[in-house]
Amino acid sequence: MRIVIAGAGEVGSHLAKLLSREEQDIVVVDDDARKLAMLDANYNLMTCVGSPVSFRTLRDAGVHEADLFIAVTPFEDRNVTSCSIANFLGARRSVARIDNYEFMKSENKSFFTGIGVNDVIYPEYLAAQEIRTALKRGWARNWFELNNGEIILIGVKVRENTGIVGHQLRELTMSHHNFHVSAIKRRRDTIIPRGDDVIMANDIVYFTTTSQHVEDIRKLCNKVSYKVRRVMIMGGSRIAVRLASMASDDWSIKIIESNPERCRRLPELCPDCEVINADGRDTDVLIDEGITETDAFIALTDSSETNILACLTAKEYGVSKTIAEVENIQLIYQAEGLNIGTIINKKLLASSKIFQVLLDSDTGSSKFLSLADAEVAELEVREGSRITRHPVKDLDLSRDVTLGGLVRNGRGMLITGNTVFEPGDKVVVFCLSGLIHKVEKLFN
Amino acid sequence: MFKKSGLRSINYRSVVRLLAYLLLFEAIFMLVPLGVSLYYGESDYYAFVTGILLTLLVSGFILTSVRGGLRDMGKREGYLLTSLVWVVFSVFGMVPFIVSSSPGLGFTDAFCETMSGFTTTGCSVLEDVEQLSHGIHMWRCLMQWIGGLGIMIFTLAVLPMLNSSGGMQMMNAELPGITKEKLSPRVSQTAKRLWMIYLLLTVLLAILLCLGPMSLFDGICHALSTMSTGGFSTHNDSIGAWNSWYVRLVVLIFMFIGGVNFALIYKASVGRFRISWSDETFRMYVRLIAVVTLILVIGYIVNSHPRWSVGVIVDPLFQVVSTVTSTGFSVTDYQSWGAFVFPILLGLMFVGASAGSTSGGCKLDRIIFLFKNCRNEINKCIHPNRVFSVSINGRVQSPELVSKVMAFLWLYMGLIIIGAMMLVLMGMPISDSLFASLSCVGNTGLGAGVTADSFASVPDAGKWMLSFLMLVGRLEIFTVLVLLSRGFWHK
Repeated sequence: MRIVIAGAGEVGSHLAKLLSREEQDIVVVDDDARKLAMLDANYNLMTCVGSPVSFRTLRDAGVHEADLFIAVTPFEDRNVTSCSIANFLGARRSVARIDNYEFMKSENKSFFTGIGVNDVIYPEYLAAQEIRTALKRGWARNWFELNNGEIILIGVKVRENTGIVGHQLRELTMSHHNFHVSAIKRRRDTIIPRGDDVIMANDIVYFTTTSQHVEDIRKLCNKVSYKVRRVMIMGGSRIAVRLASMASDDWSIKIIESNPERCRRLPELCPDCEVINADGRDTDVLIDEGITETDAFIALTDSSETNILACLTAKEYGVSKTIAEVENIQLIYQAEGLNIGTIINKKLLASSKIFQVLLDSDTGSSKFLSLADAEVAELEVREGSRITRHPVKDLDLSRDVTLGGLVRNGRGMLITGNTVFEPGDKVVVFCLSGLIHKVEKLFN
Repeated sequence: MFKKSGLRSINYRSVVRLLAYLLLFEAIFMLVPLGVSLYYGESDYYAFVTGILLTLLVSGFILTSVRGGLRDMGKREGYLLTSLVWVVFSVFGMVPFIVSSSPGLGFTDAFCETMSGFTTTGCSVLEDVEQLSHGIHMWRCLMQWIGGLGIMIFTLAVLPMLNSSGGMQMMNAELPGITKEKLSPRVSQTAKRLWMIYLLLTVLLAILLCLGPMSLFDGICHALSTMSTGGFSTHNDSIGAWNSWYVRLVVLIFMFIGGVNFALIYKASVGRFRISWSDETFRMYVRLIAVVTLILVIGYIVNSHPRWSVGVIVDPLFQVVSTVTSTGFSVTDYQSWGAFVFPILLGLMFVGASAGSTSGGCKLDRIIFLFKNCRNEINKCIHPNRVFSVSINGRVQSPELVSKVMAFLWLYMGLIIIGAMMLVLMGMPISDSLFASLSCVGNTGLGAGVTADSFASVPDAGKWMLSFLMLVGRLEIFTVLVLLSRGFWHK
C-alpha cells in the first residue's frame, strides 16, 4: 500500500518509520531538505523535497497512486489544503492533522468530505481524551477499548501486596475465568506469557477482558477506585485547554502556567479554571495552591524532563494519580520505570489513530497498538483459514503469540483452550514486534 | 539490568550468514560457464565443478553452523557486508582460473583477474586471451556483468529479508553517486527496477550483436562486458577484431547508455523523457563526449593525415566513449594518433561518466560540483558579500554535500598518487605507474607502456595493491575506507 506523508515533523517522521517497518510503501514530503535527509538515509522509504501544498511536488511524490495521504505539518490550514489537493490528484483517502475543535464536529464533516478530507486527527484532543480516561480509572495504567468497548485491554502495575504476585498464570486461570493475561511488561522487556510464567511485583500486567469483569480485575490487583475531584495541571498547553473544556464540569481544575502572556489568554479559553501564574517547579507554590489536597497532578509543559520531575515531586506530596506528557520517545521507557502513573505521548496517540484509519480502509495492516516491543492487532478470521480447523489448544501457536479475546457477532468473548474460531470472528492477537506477518498467515 | 545485546558493536553473525546466502548466488551464477563448458565439450568443466562445490561447501557449512537472525542490520553491518562480499566473491570466483589448465593462474594473478572482473575494471593479467576456453570466457564476462550494477543490489532485488533499512545501507554503500535517488519507496523495488533495466538492455544488446557478424557466444560475452562497462573481450584485439562498423556502432551506443544514470533511463522508460533530457549531468556527459571527440578528430587529422573514411570520426568517438565510461575497449592503436591522446584519455579516465551508472571514474557529477564550487570561490574574491551556491538541476546543494564531494575528490586523487608511487617503488616506469593506478581506481582497465597489453608484468605486490585500489574505486572510497577507521569497530 502506498502512503504519502506530508510533513516530516515529529509525528510525520514517527509514522514514516513505523509504517516503513510495516512493509508499506512510504513517501515523505517536506520542504525542509535537512529533515528529509536523515529519514532518507536511514529508513526504507522515499523522500521528496517540496511544499506539501504544491501540485507539482505532490504529483512527483506519486499522490495519484496513493492509497492514503496523511498531512501532518504543524499548520492545520496547510494540512487541509494539502489533503484537498491530494484528493483532487487521485489519492484514495486523506487524513489531516488539525488543531481546531470545530473541525472535528460532526455537523462540519460534510464540508471536509466535500473538499476531500476524509479524516482528521487532532493529537491534542486525543491526548486530552486519554487523560480523561486515565483519571476516570485511576487504578489502571493503560486502558484500551476495542470494538466499542466489547473487549477491554487494561494494563495494571501490580505491587507486592497483590494476591496474584508469585503465582503462575496456570494457577490463575484455574481459579479465575473472566480475564486473559495477554502481556507482561517487566522493566524494559515485554513478555508474551505462557502458563508457566510467574507474575512478579512491579510488573505491568495487561489483562484482556469484557466490560462486565472489569471490577473483578481491580479487586484482584488490590487497587482502590477513587473519584478524582481536584486536578492540578502544570503548563497551560493546548492539551490543557482541551482537557479543561472537556471536563471542567466534573473536576475543579487549577492550571499553573509560568508565561504571563499565556496566563492572560487562559481564563478566556477555559473560563471555569483557576489560572495561577507561577513556575510549577517551585514547591512553595505547589503547597500554597494545595498540592496536598489534590487528587491528580498532570504535567503538560513542553519539556518532558520537567514533566517527569514535577510528577515525582507531586507523588511525594501524596497525589495519588500523576500524568506526565513525555514527547521524547526515548524517555518513555525511563519514565515508565519511575513511579509515574500514566505517560501521554502525542506522537504515539496520533500514530495509533492513523493505524485505526488504516484498519478501516481494510488493507493488510491491522495493528492498532504498540506496547514497547510488542504489538496488538485485531485480525478477522477468513473463510477456510487454518485457524478455524482446530480448537485453540491444538493450534500449536508460536511461543511469542497469544490470543487475547474475540468479538463474535458484535459481542466480546474470552478465549479458552476449547474455543473454535468461526469465519467473521475478530480476534485480538498479541505478539512480539515483527512477528505479526507470521500470525496473519494463520488467518488467511 | 539492560539487555547486553543492545550494546555490542557489530552483528557479525548476520554478516556471516548473509555472506553465506550470497555465496549460494555465486554458485548459481557459476552454473552458466559450467553449462557453456559442457556444451562445447571442453575438458576444463571440472574447474567450474570444483568452484561450485567449494562455494556450496563453505556456504553450507556457515549456514548450518552459524545460527542467528538477520535482523538488526545497521550502518556498520551494511558497510562491512558490502565490502566483504566483493572480496569473498573474488576469492571464490578465482577458483576456476586456478583449477583450469588453460589459464592455470597462480593465486595472485587469479585474484587480481577476478577482482578486475567483478569491479568491471577489465584489465587482465593474461597475455593471450584467445587461448582461453569458452567456459572461462563466459565466466570472465559474467563476473563483470554481476559486478557492473552491483552484487548487493542484485541481492537486494532477490532476497526479501533485506527489504529493510539495513538493506538501504547496503544499497547506499554500493551504488555509485553523491546522493542516491530512489526509484520507489521500498529498497527492493528500486533494486528490482534497476536490474530489470540492466537485464533488458543486455538482452537487447546481445540480440543486436548476434544479428551482426559476431557469433552467438561472442555476442553474449560482449553484451555482458559492454553493458557493465567492464571491457573483457574474447579476442586480443577486443572489438577491433571484428572489422565491422555495425559492431562498433552498436557497442558504442550501449557503452554510452552504460554511462548514463540508470535512474534517468528508468524515468525515460516510463515516459518521462523531459526529466532525463534536461538533466544537467546528462547534458554535460553528451557535451564532454562531443568536445573531446572533436579535439581528437582534429588532432588525428593534423598529425597523421589519414585517408577520409567513417573511421576518422567513429574511431576517436569510440575511444572517447570507451574511456569515459571506463569500459576500456579499444579498436585501433590510439597511441599512433599522436602524443596528445595520452593526457586526454588520462583526463577522461579520471572524470568518468554519470553517477548511478555502471561506469567508473570519480563521476561527472562530482566534477560538476568541483567546477561550480571553484567558480564560486573565485567570484567571491571580487564580490565578498554576494551569496553563491552550488546548484544542480536547479536545486541548491547544501554546503555539507559540497564538502563531502571535495573530500571524496581529495581521497580519490590521494589514492591514485599513492598507488602510483608504490608501483614506482616496485620498479615500474613513472608514467606507466600513474596510468595503471588511475586506471584501476577508476575501474577503466586501460594500460599504457608496460601494461599496454596486460598487467602480467606488474610485480605480485603491485597486483595485490591494484586489486585493493579497484575495490576501493568501485565502492567509491568511503565504504572501504570507513572500515579502516577506529570508530567503526568501537561504539
